[in-house]
Amino acid sequence: MTRIHARLRRSANLICAFVLIVILCTSCSKKPDTGRDAKVTTLGSIEVTAKLLEIKGDLPDIAMYDYAFVMKYEVLQVHRGNLDAKLIYVGHYNPLKSRDSVADGRVTEIGGNIKRFRALDVHRMALEVPIDDYYMGGIINRYFDQSKEPVYWAVWSNNVVK
Amino acid sequence: MSSDLKICTKMLVFAALAGGVVSAGQARGEEIRRAKQQAAPGVAELAKEVHDKGWIVYGARTSKGDWDLFTMRPDGSDVRNITNTANFNEAAPRFSPDGRKILYRRLRRNEKIEPNRFGMQGRLVFANSDGSDVVVYGKQGQYTWASWGPQGKRIACMSAKGIYFVDLSTKEVVGRLSRQGFFQQVSWSPDGKWLCGVANSFGTGWSVARMEIATGAANAVNRVNTCTPDWFADSRHLIFSYRPPNQQGNNGNGWTQLWMADGEGTQRSLVYGEDGRHIYGGVVSPDSRYVLFTGNDREDGDPTRAGAPMAIMRLQDAPTIGGQSIALRQLHENTRDGPVLVLPDGWEPHWTYADIGVKK
Repeated sequence: MTRIHARLRRSANLICAFVLIVILCTSCSKKPDTGRDAKVTTLGSIEVTAKLLEIKGDLPDIAMYDYAFVMKYEVLQVHRGNLDAKLIYVGHYNPLKSRDSVADGRVTEIGGNIKRFRALDVHRMALEVPIDDYYMGGIINRYFDQSKEPVYWAVWSNNVVK
Repeated sequence: MSSDLKICTKMLVFAALAGGVVSAGQARGEEIRRAKQQAAPGVAELAKEVHDKGWIVYGARTSKGDWDLFTMRPDGSDVRNITNTANFNEAAPRFSPDGRKILYRRLRRNEKIEPNRFGMQGRLVFANSDGSDVVVYGKQGQYTWASWGPQGKRIACMSAKGIYFVDLSTKEVVGRLSRQGFFQQVSWSPDGKWLCGVANSFGTGWSVARMEIATGAANAVNRVNTCTPDWFADSRHLIFSYRPPNQQGNNGNGWTQLWMADGEGTQRSLVYGEDGRHIYGGVVSPDSRYVLFTGNDREDGDPTRAGAPMAIMRLQDAPTIGGQSIALRQLHENTRDGPVLVLPDGWEPHWTYADIGVKK
């Protein structure tokens, strides 16, 4: 019985070690990435690195309605264009879709490598402002009553890995 | 492995057969539903009453699978295909104020009509109301969300850069306005003083709004989950689709109903609702006595399928609730429930009282 227990313990230890190695390898594989690429550095008139402070409420899952969803960012660095604000509001088109497949018949020149929007992630984005000059569609802006600042339009959105 | 395959195949065949049975069952159910509605009290009288009241133009899918434009009498008789273009899809026809012309969008045959984008798709086309003398006006994606002006000599259009007015004879842009968050389904009022449309600038993504052309000032008429507005003949009231919040039906998503309101948005009321159907495409007759709409199974207005049954009711019978609609009836106890004349399947219909030149 004790021999079986010992074997089981050894197996468990091995599995734990394996899982630990996999976790370490995965985290090691996340190389730092500034999010810089040919699109984000050329599209739009403003280019920033910014932290996504919050996603206010749920992202509506309404397949037949295209919409832009406004998210709040803290600007960490301005790479291009004129932008003085520390906090900005950015509209992302159909935010439940991966950026590499979000372009469609309504919005053609849009993309990036963000798969999923998560609060506190850092993004490098090419932007335009105001959103209405570049996008004609439904906008879900849950900051409508809080801020009258112009909403930026996310043209290209990449993840930044520190 | 092979037995697994056989089981899979049997399951697929069964699923296909079951699907066919369900689909056939649904079609039969729809037929029965239609027959019951047509036999309901007052429907035959309503059909007789509206028979000679001009023409309805609408888009519908043909037996070849494409979308063409059709005209019919308001009682559903005398249906004619007025485009007959197997290589194109046609959609969203609107009669000119005098009823002699129509404008519509012509799309490539393989382009799916998008319920929220149709005014931006394909090319703008003008024709006589009987489908003759077709003039393609502009290129693909030009003159988007075009709407007739009150004299039929100008159109209002809308792009991301703003609203603009075009003189049809010269193609000159004769005026511009900021679009103030308007983004689809713009319609110019019969008196020429207003625009209505769907806007994102009133705290929700889909508001019905009104804009005064002289000043560019805009106000919300209805704020939440609302779209497809159109004018009454007095240019002071609007009809629109609205999905009120907190409905239990349709998995908590609710059903879209037909509502009306004054231009200020201070007085809103239900026109027609039916739990189990989304009511879209609402327009009023030229004398504002009747209401024409589509009753869709699906939220998208069904342009991706074959449209949905169109229907006519008298405005004096509003509010009318169709079907059992237990939840809806609890919210609106004093309904009039007048006759509803069910018409062929179609999408985005429009109505004129003019003689459009169709010969018998």
